This record gives sequence, C-alpha cells and structure tokens, in this order.
Amino acid sequence: MAANFWTSSHYKQLLDQEEVDVVHPLDKEKGITLAEFKLLKMHMANYIWKLATHVKVRQRVVATAVTYMRRVYTRKSLSEYDPRHVAPTCLYLAAKAEESTVQARLLVFYVKKMPTDEKFRFEIKDVLEMEMKILEAINYYLVVFHPYRSLSQLLQDAALNDISMTQLTWGLVNDTYRMDLILVHPPHLIALACIYIASVLRDKDTTSWFEELRVDMNVVKNISIEILDFYENHRINMEERLNVAMAKLGSTIHNLEILQLTPTSY
Amino acid sequence: MAIAAPGQLNLHESPSWGSRSVDCFEKLEQIGEGTYGQVYMAREIKTGEIVALKKIRMDNEREGFPITAIREIKILKKLHHENVIKLKEIVTSPGPEKDEQGRPGKYLLRMRNGNKYKGGIYMVFEYMDHDLTGLADRPGMRFSVPQIKCYMRQLLTGLHYCHVNQVLHRDIKGSNLLIDNEGNLKLADFGLARSFSNDHNANLTNRVITLWYRPPELLLGTTKYGPAVDMWSVGCIFAELLHGKPIFPGKDEPEQLNKIFELCGAPDEVNWPGVSKIPWYNNLKPTRPMKRRLREVFRHFDRHALELLERMLTLDPSQRISAKDALDAEYFWTDPLPCDPKSLPKYESSHEFQTKKKRQQQRQHEETAKRQKLQHPQQHGRLPPIQQSGQAHAQMRPGPNQPPMHGSQAPVAAGPSHHYGKPRGPSGGPGRYPPSGNPGGGYTHQNRGGQGGGSGYSSGPYPPQGRGAPYGSSGMPGAAPRGGGGSGYGVGAPNYPQNGPYGGSNAGRGSNMMGGNRNQQYGWQQ
Repeated sequence: MAANFWTSSHYKQLLDQEEVDVVHPLDKEKGITLAEFKLLKMHMANYIWKLATHVKVRQRVVATAVTYMRRVYTRKSLSEYDPRHVAPTCLYLAAKAEESTVQARLLVFYVKKMPTDEKFRFEIKDVLEMEMKILEAINYYLVVFHPYRSLSQLLQDAALNDISMTQLTWGLVNDTYRMDLILVHPPHLIALACIYIASVLRDKDTTSWFEELRVDMNVVKNISIEILDFYENHRINMEERLNVAMAKLGSTIHNLEILQLTPTSY
Repeated sequence: MAIAAPGQLNLHESPSWGSRSVDCFEKLEQIGEGTYGQVYMAREIKTGEIVALKKIRMDNEREGFPITAIREIKILKKLHHENVIKLKEIVTSPGPEKDEQGRPGKYLLRMRNGNKYKGGIYMVFEYMDHDLTGLADRPGMRFSVPQIKCYMRQLLTGLHYCHVNQVLHRDIKGSNLLIDNEGNLKLADFGLARSFSNDHNANLTNRVITLWYRPPELLLGTTKYGPAVDMWSVGCIFAELLHGKPIFPGKDEPEQLNKIFELCGAPDEVNWPGVSKIPWYNNLKPTRPMKRRLREVFRHFDRHALELLERMLTLDPSQRISAKDALDAEYFWTDPLPCDPKSLPKYESSHEFQTKKKRQQQRQHEETAKRQKLQHPQQHGRLPPIQQSGQAHAQMRPGPNQPPMHGSQAPVAAGPSHHYGKPRGPSGGPGRYPPSGNPGGGYTHQNRGGQGGGSGYSSGPYPPQGRGAPYGSSGMPGAAPRGGGGSGYGVGAPNYPQNGPYGGSNAGRGSNMMGGNRNQQYGWQQ
C-alpha cells in the first residue's frame, strides 16, 4: 500500500454512513429516495466496471473510478452531474491517477459502443469538461486505498490463500464497490469482512485468527452484515426498481444499459 | 457560509466544498516562469499569509487536466513531512462565473465556448525564500561545512521519507530544493515524481531527471529503476556543494555519460553486474578503458565526505547507498556536526524571474561599461565550502537577529533562481527534453549562465546598482580572495586547488547577510 493509509487524505476523508446516505435536495425534489439513490450509484458502478472491460484497464483503476464517482455524489446531485458523463469521466480520471492513462478519444469511442440511446451525445469535450468538475467536486483528493492489497496480505497471514478462497474473497471485494463501503470504512476492515464472509461460506474456522488480529470485530461484523444485506436486497426486482428510479430522474440516465446484478460470489 | 451578493465575490469564506477562488489571494509578483506555468508570490487576503501560487497551464492540453499535475497533487496530498513542500490547497480562477448557489452558470458556457478553465487552476504552496542553486550561486556565497551537512541531512531525510512512502522524486536538483530563512530545506516540484512498487517490475520512463543529475542507468536506457536514481542526483548535489560547481555539466546524453565515466570509471560486468543488458549499453559504452578517478579528483574533500560521495556516485544502482544508510554515514556523526537549521544565516530572497530581468539590465550596463573600458571581465564561480570549518563556522553563523555585517551595502541581487515553476527545458509535456536535440542546454544555460563556466554572462554577479568597481576593490575583508577564487573557478578544471585563494577568507560572506528582517526578505516592492 503506497504511503500510509492512516496519514492519507483517504483516511481523513472517511465519512459516516449518515453523511453518505444523504439524497441531494435537487434529487429529492424529483422524488428520488435513499434506496433509489443507492441503486443508481450501484448501477453506475456496474456501468464503469463494464466500460472498463472494453477499455482494458487494471482492476485498481476501476475501483478508483467507482470511488471517485461515489465521492462526487456525496456532494453533488445526480440532476446536475449527469451520471452518463460522470461515470465514464471517473474512469478517465482514475486511469490518469493510477498511471494507466486512457486517451479521451478512445474512451469516447468505447462509450459509444456501449448500449445507449440515439440522442445521447458524448464527445471529448464532455470528458474534459466533466473532468474539471469532478476534480473540483472531490476537492482534488485523488488518492484511494483499496482493500485488495490488504486482502492478499491477510489471506496469506491466515493461511487461506488457496485459489478458491482468493477468488471468492476477491469477488466479494469487487462487489463491495457496489456499495458505499469504501467511503465509510478503512480498506483493511472491508477486506477482513470479505474474508469473514468467505470463511463462513466455505466453512473455514478463522475464529482464533480473527481474535489475534486485535481489530474491532464489531465493525467487521457490521460490514459483513451490510454486504450480506446488499446481496439479499438486490435479488428481487432489481431491474424494475431501477427503472422506476431512472424514470424519476427523467431522461437523465435511462439509456444506461441495465445490467442484471449477478453477485459474483454466490 | 456567508453568501456574497450576486455579482460580488465571496472572498472571506471558504466554501464548504470544492475549491476556493484564486481571488482569495493577492498576487504580489511573478517569481517564476516555466513551461508548466507561472509562479507567483501572493498574499492570502484574509490571513496576510505569504504563499506561492503555481499556475497549472490548461491550454494546449488535449488530454484535459495534465497528468503531471495529477501526479504532483496526488503525491503531495499524501506526503506530509517537514522536508517536503506543503501543498496547501488548490484554487481556481476566477470566481464570478458561479452564481451565489455555487452552481456553475456562465462558467460552463464559457467552457463550452472552448475557453475551458482558461482562468486557470493554481496550486497553493507555502512560500520559501530560496532554492539551493540560487543560494549557492549568490556571488561570494560560501557554505560552511556544518551548513552543508545540515542541508544534506535535511535533503536525505526528506528523500528517505519519500522513498519509504514509495515515491520517486525523479527531479532532484538544486533548484528543486527550497530553503526558507529558518534554514529549513524542503523537496519541491513533484511534477515528475511518481509512485513505485518495490518489485521494480513496472516500466518507467528513462526520460526523467535534469541531465546533469541523471544517473548512468537512466542514460543507458533502463526502464526498471527505483529510489537509487534519486540518490545519484543527491550525490551530484553533494559533490557540487563541496566542489563549488556542478560536477557533470553535460550538453547532451552521450556527453553526460562520458563525463560520468571519466570520473566514476567505465561500467563493466565486474563493477556493475548486468550492465551489458541495459538497452543502450552497447551503443553508449565507453570506447576506451577508464579508471575511477573520484577519490583522486576530490582528494581534498574531507575523508568522511569523500566516503559518502563514493557510495552515492556508485555506478551500479543496486550498490548505491540508500537515503537511510546515507543518514547513518560517519559524515553526519563526526565533527563538525550538522548545525541547527535555525542557526543558519538569513539571506535576502530573490527570484529567478526578476534576476533574469536584472541580468539583462546588467548586461546592457556592462556593454556600456565595456565600451568605456571601465571594467575588466570578472567571473564568479561558486565557492567551495570553507575548509577549516571549526573556526570559520563560528563566524558563519550570526544569530538570527544580528544586524547585517555590512548594513550600508546594497544587497547583492544576482541570487537565487527560483524553483516552483522553473523552466522545464525547451519543450513542454511530461518528458523533460525533446526526443532529440540538446537536452538541458537551453534550460541550464538560462538558469545557470554566469556561474561556473561563465559562458556569456560575465555580468551576472554584479549588483543591480551597477557599481563600476569589482568586489576586489571594495576594501572588505575577504573580498579579494573571493574575486580571485571566482576567476580560478571559471576555468572548469575538474581539480580544484585545495589551498587556493580561499585560505584566509573567513569573513568572505559577510556582505550577503541580510539579518533577520522579514520586510527585507520580502522586498517585493522594489
């Protein structure tokens, strides 16, 4: 992990759940509920993930991009910051910040290849314009610490670093970006929660290992519960609820392709 | 947050989100100019605090916000250390495009007109009075041994911190080492810096680090490297401080490499296992055998200094000393010990941008003088440290409140080149130099002309008042040896006479001391 998380802007910028779970007044006016707000952000995360597979950037870039997007919407409204522009531009900016630059022209090319409605225009100037707005919205805090690095270290430490556990936990960590966890919790605790869930699923006894870690297991359990709740919630009527939320936003994002959520870990 | 009336600027409250407007600052003067953008000294209106504003140039950017600025911001936001320059905030300009709700209004329209953020984005840094090159280049300036140790230790401490945090600076050189009047040294300009992982597996560009400070592995084209590249630059600076002038002033890459080989010997599989596999080794390897002459050339250096320098200027990066080990070197733990930064003398600050203008004036003046045959040319090399340190040091350290030793004398103005946004060589972009051509030439000549080799700027050292008489005749103690030393240095021979003209010039630096008067340091309204 580059630099020290505890002295980083990321650590100082950690928010309380209550601060993250605020629907911007402008979005509220349109009738967006908190649940819908979360759903829309999740949908954007999925979109970024999908776009990234075309653009071919490292997973770390995607994770950073999703984090930027979530940081933006702790301060800005969906109504003003068009998700169709924010999502790809976050990927553009994250690619720069993570030293895997993607040319704006290429990004636009791939955005156009994604399923979209015909009226949607997205050109290079839109990327550059939105980039400045995003930088300002996140107050130039570009550093993000991710759970991945602690995950591999922790798995090794727990002697759980076999392929099956690695894949399962890695997928769980990926899925945490569909939630706001990265804004609220230190990354190593997110990693621990994923290990915790995975060890329960795979029937591994990690009790003594967790005890020796001297971390607040209540926090780890809370994160785990949140992750499990998330999977539970999004099994039912996902698409339908997403459509409702999008309709409320007007035309803003209805053209984003609706992705069927398939939790990678189940 | 107090809301300003429409059309008025809200100067006194920070917005709760986003960045403040540059209008929160009053620009005092430009102190730097580079391809990166201009640098201004400015005062925060609300607090009166003096800061440096570095403008991020946005025009000419096809890829939006420059990645160099992203790197610098990202890195500076994660580094917090007393020997690393502090990025205070980022401000945008100008404010009026936003309506009172802070919603982008005309702002966007303006951007749509292709004028995006033309007003600019500024990085706000703490203000520093000098940079090391500028300070060292002041006419007559001589650092004492404890002073050099003090700067070197701070440099290594800051760099060690960067390396521990997996940041390579990649542009360590005198003009990027800022010094304030408390004697603190801070690493600045992280525009070329980047994070690295310890495995050295990532391919990094070898077109970094100003030519004179670039290590042999980069010159040979390696793309896998680590913190050792910065340590080579530190070695160059260390030698420069002791020697009195840059030790490897190459004009282009091949010449640079040759200068290195001449001093450090030719690399081979014995002293540098694996060197023959570096991309350009076969094209650039020396044609004749060369012995390492470092100890011989710098035999007059203090034993511990030479020992440390040997380990910094080691060809093989894997054997080169790390910042951490360098801090443990005998050099820093034997008498004379590094001094307390606060005990260092305070100097009048000056900035390259102004200095250049002044130099031009001086050149004109000199032309006139020449025509009148009133003046004989004089060159000022940078002076090596005072060797008999113990005694000299006591004299070199006036208390912070001690009045200037030559209060009546005008400040010497041909001083520091400033730093925050110094020119980045002839071309813009992330790479320092154009792929071909003469890397460093334009830049270094601009900045360093008049020092050392003393190309066209023999007028450099003169004070702006245009006193006709050279220092030698000013009747100050120590003035004559200084003049003599200057000419002795202009020759550029690698070997500098140990007991040359400096023997008795303990008081040689008095004329530059400005005392501790803040107003004088910030003498911007000249």
